[in-house]
Amino acid sequence: MSVSPQPPAIQVRDMHFHYGPTCALKALTLDVAERQVTAFIGPSGCGKSTLLRCFNRMNDEIPGARVTQGSIHIGGIDIQDRSVDVVKLRREVGMVFQKSNPFPRSIFDNVAFGLQLHRMASRSILVQAVEEALVSAALWDEVKDRLHESALGLSGGQQQRLCIARSLAVKPRIILMDEPCSALDPIATAKVEDLIRTLRQQYTIIIVTHSMQQAARVSDHTAFFYLGELIEFSGTLKLFSNPAHKLTEDYLRGTFG
Amino acid sequence: MSKTASAPHRFNKSGLSLEKAIKFFFASNAGLTIVILVLIIVFLLKEGLGFFPGYRRELEIYRIAGLEFVDLSRQNLTTHEQLASVLNRAYYAEINGKCARELKRSREAAALFNAFSDQTTATRDLILNNLTAGIDPDSEMLATLRKNHAANVQKALAKLPPTPHLTLTERTALIDSLRSRDVTAKDDPPLVATLTEQYAAAQQVQAKPLAGLRATIDAFEATGSDLSTLVSEMTTAVTATKESLQNADILEKDRKTLLAAAARAKDPAERARLMADAQASLAEQADIDGPMQSLMLRKPTCIEAHNALRQTSSEILTQLPTALSQPEAERLLRAARKAAPVFLTTLGQAPGQISQWRHDTRVPLSAAIRSFLTGKDWVTGGEWQDFYGILPLLVGSLMISMVALCLAIPAGVGAAIYINQFASGHEQSLVKPVIEFIQAIPSVVLGFIGILVFGSVLRDLSQLDSLAWVPGFPIEERLNIFTAGCLLALMSIPTIFSLAEDALNNVPSAYSEASDALGASRIQTSFRVVIPAAFSGILAAVLLGLGRVIGETMVVLLVAGNRIKIPDFSSGIGAFLQPSHTLTGIIAQELGEVPLGSVHYRALFVVGILLFTIVLGINATAHKFVSRTQH
Repeated sequence: MSVSPQPPAIQVRDMHFHYGPTCALKALTLDVAERQVTAFIGPSGCGKSTLLRCFNRMNDEIPGARVTQGSIHIGGIDIQDRSVDVVKLRREVGMVFQKSNPFPRSIFDNVAFGLQLHRMASRSILVQAVEEALVSAALWDEVKDRLHESALGLSGGQQQRLCIARSLAVKPRIILMDEPCSALDPIATAKVEDLIRTLRQQYTIIIVTHSMQQAARVSDHTAFFYLGELIEFSGTLKLFSNPAHKLTEDYLRGTFG
Repeated sequence: MSKTASAPHRFNKSGLSLEKAIKFFFASNAGLTIVILVLIIVFLLKEGLGFFPGYRRELEIYRIAGLEFVDLSRQNLTTHEQLASVLNRAYYAEINGKCARELKRSREAAALFNAFSDQTTATRDLILNNLTAGIDPDSEMLATLRKNHAANVQKALAKLPPTPHLTLTERTALIDSLRSRDVTAKDDPPLVATLTEQYAAAQQVQAKPLAGLRATIDAFEATGSDLSTLVSEMTTAVTATKESLQNADILEKDRKTLLAAAARAKDPAERARLMADAQASLAEQADIDGPMQSLMLRKPTCIEAHNALRQTSSEILTQLPTALSQPEAERLLRAARKAAPVFLTTLGQAPGQISQWRHDTRVPLSAAIRSFLTGKDWVTGGEWQDFYGILPLLVGSLMISMVALCLAIPAGVGAAIYINQFASGHEQSLVKPVIEFIQAIPSVVLGFIGILVFGSVLRDLSQLDSLAWVPGFPIEERLNIFTAGCLLALMSIPTIFSLAEDALNNVPSAYSEASDALGASRIQTSFRVVIPAAFSGILAAVLLGLGRVIGETMVVLLVAGNRIKIPDFSSGIGAFLQPSHTLTGIIAQELGEVPLGSVHYRALFVVGILLFTIVLGINATAHKFVSRTQH
């Protein structure tokens, strides 16, 4: 589990990130392994969500937010480059948010949204693609009889899995998850975690989480951030059982956080 | 138990606290508004609902006095006159169209001369008055006046209107003749006179081939004279009957008031006096039967007149030419040819209506309600008969609102979408206050800007030859539905803009974030996610804008033209360029002048109730949409 034979899905090299004058990430260098689950942990405000949003350039929408130094390569391409089409990037790098955010439409329309957006599917295969995405998100059995009812009628956990299905539908290679279970009850959380473990076989997944148990349960690699710096990054087992850094140990023990 | 309830203890409530007083103050304010609203509604209903019985009585008098009978004939006479007028207009349009060049040249020269006269008349009159008063023509004072006049002439010559149809030589000659014009001269300048003569001559020349049409029109006009005489004779008779009926009504009302006062009076002497007064006020029964009998005796004459009119009219109208050369004349002729068969059919039905008419058919209350809701005439303060038909006002209000919304929805919603979705922060901070600033313009100010600037510009534009293809152009009236609609659009844009922007703002940012993360472009996110999510809010904004437009008074009163008539839809979309009156405008205009408690006064209250209901309905619907977005 320690070394993967494939080239890394994401390469970050000496990256600095600023919100206006404030430095949010300092001299980051890390590789995210292909088709593995990588967890980002650390206290609030340590920059783990910011880093996540760098990977699909969601920070573009925030005025004054920018990468000031260094590079991020996804599939060998520098995504900060001017020639990069954000639309195509985001099709490859999907995202699931902390709070589930289905559109106020039917379940079917929610999943089909991305496909219709990019005209990726004709009407006939759209139905099939939606079914596939819902099956992959382990939601199909629960919603197959009410595909055309409003998505807002689903439970919180179902809504979050619907959001995952929505991002799966456009067939991304990487899925970013920003604390996907923080608003869910333990049972719904367990279902989403099962799903993550299944998806791991096909997708590269990065998950930001506040729950160290969750990171331990689902991830292959864990990165610990503190005040905008990457303190420690290694295999999950190693990091949790034998942290190399004093800060990591303190954080895991709950001395601060 | 009772001891614990009454004895003070540690947690005892302390009487009337400050908190209670504050609560009471705010509760009473809220209560007061509700009480006032209820009072307003009660007042409106109390004043308004008395209208229908009153109007029913008026319609009853209209029938039993025989006015209705006369109107059967009078309507046909009016149609006859209108048809004759259309034919006359076609005739003159044909002649003037053929002498268009002469007409324009003559008009332009006259306009130039008039502009000059208007500007120089003040100083010229001063000189003339002094001369007639016998002042020495060589005096120093007169010299000064002449000098002023000369300066004024120079100023006037510097800004004369353009004359595109006069040659440069002609214009120079005309201006020269004006420059050297003597103060005492009364005649038109030679060129103006010549052009007028030329125009008159051309008219005569062009009239010759149209002599046949002229004769037809003259003959048609003459056919109405028999019926016209008959109608005016009957009119005199029935008006007298109506007056005596109305007087009897007034006396009867007085008597009832006196009797009521007598019943309440405590002093026996006072009561006896009031009773005597009431007795004296007892009206003589108005004589209806006598005049009615003589009116009914005219039935055969009336029918005969109608038949004769129909006979001769149908003969004359077949002689109309099939086509005329000038477009305007051709249009009018076609209108006349279309109206002619309708006119003849109505004439054919008239004898049946006349013989069947009876003065003693009852007028039910529903007739008054129907006449109010479906009546095409709103005639008040007339000598003949008042009608309170809501249709012309309702149609006017609706058409103006339609124009306003057609302009305000794209502008207001479009601006809201742009500002909320695409504009930079700098643009937002510039545009939003400017649009909201429009709301600060008092509507009366907007009204006179509409009259002076917008109305005039629109009319001048419509007179351009190059724009003649626009339906309804050239505009005859400066104040019309379209002008009023444009100004109301301006007034409702801030309402629609602000509310639609709020609705867009209220769409959770999670939606657009999710859409962005799926790789949607800015425009895709706006049009596929944000705007659909805000749709019911935007609809509510539009409805509240509509409520504002329908209820607006000042602008429509000033700018809509205030002609109480359903616009003529035969000119298609040009109907929107005709003047109109509105529900709000009629109340503002007439309520100040009507006698308190009269049927007319109550009619205005019913219009108010109707308006109130419409706006209430619109707001309630808007409210429903707003609450739907919030879920």
